[in-house]
Amino acid sequence: MQNQIHSFRNFLSLGILMLMFAAFVAPVAAQSVLPPGNAVNLDDGIEEGPSNALGNLSDTEIWDIFRGGNPRDILAPTIEGQVMTTTGQQWRVIREQYILKYLGWAPLIVIGILAVFYLIRGPMKIAAGRSGKTIPRFSLSARVAHWFMAAIFIILGLTGLVILLGRVVIAPYLGLEANSVLTSAALQGHNLFGPLFIFALIWLFIKFVRGNFFQWVDLKWIFKLGGFFGGHVSSRQFNFGEKIWFWMVILVGIVISITGIIMLFPSLVEDVRWLQLSTILHAVGAVGLIAVAFGHIYIGTIGMEGSIDSMLKGEVDENWAKEHHDLWYEEVTGKSATEETEAPAKEEIS
Amino acid sequence: MSFLEFVQGPMFIFAATVFVLGALWRLVGIIKIGRKKDISPPKASAAAGFIKGNLRHFWPRGIFAKRTMVHIVGGYGFHLGLFALIFFGAYHIDFLNERILGFSWPAMPRWAFLMVSGIAFAGLIILWVRRISDPVMRLISDKDDHIGSWLTFLVMLSGCFALEQAHDILRAIHMLLVNIWLLYFPFSRLMHGFTFFLSRGSSGATYGRKGIDL
Amino acid sequence: MSNITETAVEKFLEHTDSEAASFFEACVKCGQCAEACHFHLATGDPRQTPIYKLRPMERAYKRDKAPFSSLKKMLGLAPKPVTEAELKEWEELVYDSCNMCGRCTLACPMGIDIAGTIRKMREGYSAAGLVPEGLQRSAEFVKKTSSPMGVTIKALKAQIAHQEKATGIKIEVDKKGADYMCTFSSMEIMGYPEVLGAYAKLFKRAGLSWTISSVAYEATNVGVQIGSAPMAKEILERVVDAAEALNVKYVISPECGHAYGAIRWAGPNLMGRQFKFEVVHIIEVIDKLRREGRIPAGKKDDRRMTLHDPCQIIRRGGLLKEPRKLLNESCSDFVEMKYAGLSNFCCGGGGGVSANPRADELKTKAFSLKAEQLNGVEGLEAVVVPCGNCRAVFEDGFDEYELDFEVLGLSELVAGTLAGDDQKQG
Repeated sequence: MQNQIHSFRNFLSLGILMLMFAAFVAPVAAQSVLPPGNAVNLDDGIEEGPSNALGNLSDTEIWDIFRGGNPRDILAPTIEGQVMTTTGQQWRVIREQYILKYLGWAPLIVIGILAVFYLIRGPMKIAAGRSGKTIPRFSLSARVAHWFMAAIFIILGLTGLVILLGRVVIAPYLGLEANSVLTSAALQGHNLFGPLFIFALIWLFIKFVRGNFFQWVDLKWIFKLGGFFGGHVSSRQFNFGEKIWFWMVILVGIVISITGIIMLFPSLVEDVRWLQLSTILHAVGAVGLIAVAFGHIYIGTIGMEGSIDSMLKGEVDENWAKEHHDLWYEEVTGKSATEETEAPAKEEIS
Repeated sequence: MSFLEFVQGPMFIFAATVFVLGALWRLVGIIKIGRKKDISPPKASAAAGFIKGNLRHFWPRGIFAKRTMVHIVGGYGFHLGLFALIFFGAYHIDFLNERILGFSWPAMPRWAFLMVSGIAFAGLIILWVRRISDPVMRLISDKDDHIGSWLTFLVMLSGCFALEQAHDILRAIHMLLVNIWLLYFPFSRLMHGFTFFLSRGSSGATYGRKGIDL
Repeated sequence: MSNITETAVEKFLEHTDSEAASFFEACVKCGQCAEACHFHLATGDPRQTPIYKLRPMERAYKRDKAPFSSLKKMLGLAPKPVTEAELKEWEELVYDSCNMCGRCTLACPMGIDIAGTIRKMREGYSAAGLVPEGLQRSAEFVKKTSSPMGVTIKALKAQIAHQEKATGIKIEVDKKGADYMCTFSSMEIMGYPEVLGAYAKLFKRAGLSWTISSVAYEATNVGVQIGSAPMAKEILERVVDAAEALNVKYVISPECGHAYGAIRWAGPNLMGRQFKFEVVHIIEVIDKLRREGRIPAGKKDDRRMTLHDPCQIIRRGGLLKEPRKLLNESCSDFVEMKYAGLSNFCCGGGGGVSANPRADELKTKAFSLKAEQLNGVEGLEAVVVPCGNCRAVFEDGFDEYELDFEVLGLSELVAGTLAGDDQKQG
């Protein structure tokens, strides 16, 4: 019995290999696509399969043995003797029916909400106008860490979206060939830049973790809904919204990093279901981050006057600080945030 | 002739020729401006100072690096990384061997190539993001600085995209960008890759003949 | 194009030799120089980035002289021409915000000599008449009296008489055939005349034949600071002529920063010929005499002392070790300050800045770094400053930052600690 299954397994893998071979060879013959540089030449050693591979068991019996286990539980431990799970089918369903169909809409929906918000509320101006005096907010190394992460994030986001959604977004419009080219490029780029994300994540964490822990003043922020719908909210160096974003990047980032490593080095895990789970978590986490990142970008640029200064110059206008981070302003300057800032003295070297 | 054949054939030859002649023209042009002979009695050798200045400025003085340590590490990572990628990447050695030189040398293994690429990319990105986020660099940078950084980045990125070697078009895009980079080089700030030795050497020579131990 | 712009640009181009060109060509705008500049560190102002101060000259070069510049101009890719407004905007950066101290060169990965290039850029500024009032006034004084502070020979003779009385040693003026001719900075003559006495003591002990010229006692050269080669040459000529008329073998450059560079390194090039005498710095002379055993060291000064490194003598002059050896022999508690030696901070008053009252505030700000260095030396009592100009800046700075250290010159320290003089000295 074991022997029979074994020989069937051989037969099956041989078949799969041949199929893969055909899949690679056929396009090469038909198009200008070359086999990947690391592809294995399968011309040699192909023989006829063993005879009587099916043995004397009925089809139903064979399939029952192969499957085994509870097909709904993707994380169940491997059952002895079981050679095939049906989780691959479930993974395929989750991917095709949910992720590919709906996930891509998340960033677009966020962009839509932001556009509506912008049209209704417009940019948040510094109410008191710019004072012309600035106070330091982010050090150079913190800014570089931020922009480094931003750059890596954009590269990985774009290439990742091509890999994930190329089939449904690119292929129908630009054709399979173009999608193949783009996906090949994106995959190589994504794999190479992936490890840099881990580096960027650690760096970002070290540079920004201070001031990002929960503080009691955050409760007020929550009750006032962040002041997005009016009302003044006090906050220290980072408000609750920024803290959520920070921890989201860090925690989801860790998940993406780990699942990414698993996908980059599949031999690290023994159970194929880890790989299936990884692709799902990786995609959902990443697209979620991309969606929220649009909100972050919005409020850092056109959404709020004076925000971008903190990341470009490292300094923010005093009035900006008073309005958005009053408690932090008081900590840094030792002055009251409700007093008016006098205009800078003329003779000061600018 | 396919697009790939064009960009790695005639267009590459043209770009490489412009690169070599242009760079030479510019270097000779700078030297030809000439300078008055210094007739003050020297204390030590100017020639030795020229060499010493060149070597000394390869390594930064720690006291100035505090605020910009990341920049310096990034700078090293990028430049050493790019050097290794160009001259010790297997594809590049093969290309140079087949198209120009006719001889080859040992290449890095693929894992090293990928690792070095990561370092070089990280370095270049760090250099550029400081350029946009440090008031000093924002003030002194001009278009040329940004174009140079971006062009180099795109060359590297397109090379990375072509890594699977499964599509001619990706290789062709990489080659096209390489050609543009070669054409841009002699007319731009990328020339610092060659002019640095003149600059370090000039001040090194001045310091040298004064007997200043840099 | 206005006359001013035309003149300035013409001079910029004339003075952009292959050295300056290689600097402009190699700069990658990395901003490291800002980390070295005391003006940038003290103000945090990006405009105080050293390489930025050269921008008009760099632009002129790239537009009109650099390789491919005519091709680029044809294609409309050349940089915009320099304007008069721009030149005027940069005047402060060129004159007030640069001591030509050369610290930035140490930080520059390309080794660009920004200080030396600022010197060349000032040629354009002085030719176009864009010079700060203070420096102009100094230049006028020099024309009348040879001294930027207006020190006349009469004043010098009075100081000499005073020092002769104090030391009991005769100081001979205009002695033909003497081996050494000493020069001084006005600051020394008026502010620190003990220097004269110190020289007299040292040279008498060593048995040196020396003199002071009654027409060429001034060592400083405002032409070098303003950046005018013709003016610098004229001022230098006085010294060279006097020294050659007195037939001396050596001219001694005093404890003054730019004076040494002006005569030792720029001198022959300004005059277009080599001198019939050798130029030596007073520190070199004292060090040589000490090594020859002609001025043996005696009881050491036991105060805790540190040494300021005047830029033009140490970083750009090469006399790094000599003052340290002498200090160790004259002082029992010599400690180095942070950044000592090649990378020491400028006092903030060099390169004509201290002669330019408009720059006073900036100069004082920059001195905060020096004050920090001095305060960083625990238990410091005195600081040796072998440059008359630095000394004056130190004293101004001490008032501003409420510091209380004694400032003294190196010659005085060495002269005060000679062997066998112990009983006479306090």
